[in-house]
Amino acid sequence: MLFNSIEFLLFFPTVTLLFYLLPHRFRWMLLLAASCFFYMWFIPKYIFILLITILIDFSAGILIERWADAPAKKRTCLIVSIVSTCLVLFIFKYLNFCSANLVALAQRFGWTHPTKVLNIILPIGLSFHTFQSLSYVIEVYRGNQAAERHFGYYSLYVMFYPQLVTGPIERPQNLLRQLHEEKHLQYENIASGLRLILFGMFLKMVVADNLGVYVDQIYEHPELYGRGDLLLGMVFYSFQIYGDFFGYSTIALGCALTMGFTITDNFRTPYLSGSVREFWRRWHISLSSWFRDYLYIPLGGNRVPLPRWILNTLIVFTVCGIWHGANWTFMLWGFAYGLLLVVEKGLRGIHLFDRITGKVGRAVVQVLNVAKTFVVVTLLWSVFRSPSFADLHNLFAALIDNHGTEHLQVGAVAWVALALFVLSDLLTRHSRFDAWCGRRPAVVRWALYAVLVFAVIAQSSVQNYPFIYFQF
Amino acid sequence: MIKILSKVLLLAVVLVVLEMVYRLTLYPRDIEEQCGLMEFSLKPLQEDADMIYLGESSNHNCNDADTDRRSICQMIDDQLPGHHVADLAHNATHSGVFYDIMNNIPDSCRVQTAIITVNLRSFTSEWIWSNLETPLRKQQVMMKKAPALYKRMLLAFKAYPHWTEDERWALVRRGLKRQTFSIPGFPYTDAAEWDREMWHQGTQSGLSDDSAALACHYIKCFACTLDDNNPRIRDFDHIVRLCRRRGWTPVFHILPDNEDQMDSLVGPQLLTLLHNNARFIQQRYEAMGVMVVNNQGIVRDSAFNERFYPTEHYNEKGRRAVADAIAAALCRAN
Repeated sequence: MLFNSIEFLLFFPTVTLLFYLLPHRFRWMLLLAASCFFYMWFIPKYIFILLITILIDFSAGILIERWADAPAKKRTCLIVSIVSTCLVLFIFKYLNFCSANLVALAQRFGWTHPTKVLNIILPIGLSFHTFQSLSYVIEVYRGNQAAERHFGYYSLYVMFYPQLVTGPIERPQNLLRQLHEEKHLQYENIASGLRLILFGMFLKMVVADNLGVYVDQIYEHPELYGRGDLLLGMVFYSFQIYGDFFGYSTIALGCALTMGFTITDNFRTPYLSGSVREFWRRWHISLSSWFRDYLYIPLGGNRVPLPRWILNTLIVFTVCGIWHGANWTFMLWGFAYGLLLVVEKGLRGIHLFDRITGKVGRAVVQVLNVAKTFVVVTLLWSVFRSPSFADLHNLFAALIDNHGTEHLQVGAVAWVALALFVLSDLLTRHSRFDAWCGRRPAVVRWALYAVLVFAVIAQSSVQNYPFIYFQF
Repeated sequence: MIKILSKVLLLAVVLVVLEMVYRLTLYPRDIEEQCGLMEFSLKPLQEDADMIYLGESSNHNCNDADTDRRSICQMIDDQLPGHHVADLAHNATHSGVFYDIMNNIPDSCRVQTAIITVNLRSFTSEWIWSNLETPLRKQQVMMKKAPALYKRMLLAFKAYPHWTEDERWALVRRGLKRQTFSIPGFPYTDAAEWDREMWHQGTQSGLSDDSAALACHYIKCFACTLDDNNPRIRDFDHIVRLCRRRGWTPVFHILPDNEDQMDSLVGPQLLTLLHNNARFIQQRYEAMGVMVVNNQGIVRDSAFNERFYPTEHYNEKGRRAVADAIAAALCRAN
């Protein structure tokens, strides 16, 4: 089920209302049933894939705890669990990509073999719940989390509907604990949750979807447009993907909060970052912290010699790229970020702006850093958005040639939506939207609600744009 | 709880105000941009029209060689002096859309008779799950009789069928399996099976790929047994009820299909199904008091415009034959 669908407008209040009406001991059943229903709305049979992952990691958690005093067994259990969970991900997400590339490679050496392509649709959110499941097993292995003995609660931890299909990727210490706690109806939670849902819908339906119309035009036929329009389209994509994903995460946060659950903030004004390193601390936080804790630090983190650190960084970011999709462009996108981080670290010793002092001077430097980071991020989003290297080449060839004659006719709605998005990012850079909004006087708050409701209903795009991160 | 309820009440007031603001500001533009169907379909409906003609592209599609380029509707209009037939036909529409168009006709109009096109191809999966359906359904949302802001909300939250191409084809494939029939001594019982075998046997027996593909299209478009559960039948039932409610006389005319090509490419079994379905519609709606003009077989192969897909696009001769049959039936009834 999509957050921006009419079905969800019925589903959400029904589930929330029932949640508060039911006694605590029955609530997990309601949430689990609701989450199954939510997931099965897409392709019902894929629930069995989810069930396999849940069964594997639930059993692994118990066994790992049971063999706490037998490190070899415990380690084997962890490896089996990780491999089998990743195998499911591999089959559905990477098998076709790998076999196609292996065949292409073999053909280069003159060996031809017919390829068998698996005709399957990637289960929605597979990468997200796989990672969430893995984090549970790893935390149990590390002794940071007790193994969950209740299959229902564990299933709910993996399937909790607000963050089931596009995260945030939760840790068991945060979500699993909260699922056991009894929640009471609190006005503040309801008000904050609804504010977040409304704001999230604005970001997705008004900002991202309205910009998406122009982004599609540019990326489908870059050769038709001049350099200015191409750059504008690239900037629009930066805001489209941000609005889209931030919007989804904000709705997820809001849905959970109305029931009293606090889930991880996934974004903290990433486009106001002064460096790539800072950008990754503010963009898709639950994924970047997952890679930090479960890949970067186990590889040695930054407490290793420089060449090893460079290698670790490149590995982590390349894997992060592949996580997004089975495509060379994603891999390049991730690798490029790794490389940029290495370069940034190399340049850290050069203090170009050290002599600039004073409030104004420092502010100018900060603005320049933000602009520089935004340019880099936007350029890399074009790699991310391109379906293939050929498309990427076409885009950059069109940028260099500047032969296009068509003009992007951007409507007022898109400009106003974008301006409001930027303004909201600036206003909420120190606190989340719900808290910021809660501090305004009632008249201002309600005027804001009216504007957002009107925008979501009357100014949302009528084109159907699925959430971009659904494909991952 | 009281605090929450008071806020819900306040929200309701805000929504009422927003409805008024929307209706006065953006609604007219949205109707123009999102609902061309209503805008363009109802425009020709002048006050003096006593008949309306609802159809799809069969009404106005012409052959390049036509000297008479009038639509079927215009031809009927010309044959009925003293009457004015308003043309409410629009490409790719079907009974569900006809109903919405008719439902939006203002009470002030003097309509007495509704001539409604029955296209047998529209009852099968390829049309029901066509990629033209989503834009039509979007327009239908805006044609509902409901508060303007509510209708726009339905559009914003995608309260209409929308599918990816993969999903759509999956639906078509599933639909073809449900297009079942029973012909004594005939080995196939559903359109999917027949379609598959037709392609296999057609190409084996020397049919060109184009001809085999066309034969398969005929099977997908016509091989079915209509019954009460077909969504188009349900829509036609709604139309009959609407006509009764508004005091209009419904006239259904069944469009002729290219039986010559169907017979030569696929065989007599498909013709049997086609005739059975036309008879089913005729009997069903005549029993409800509807005048049904069954035009099956009155247009021969040479009068069809398209050669590579089964359509109901006729040249001037074909359009005239259809218009003559409808006009004659209306004259007889009067």
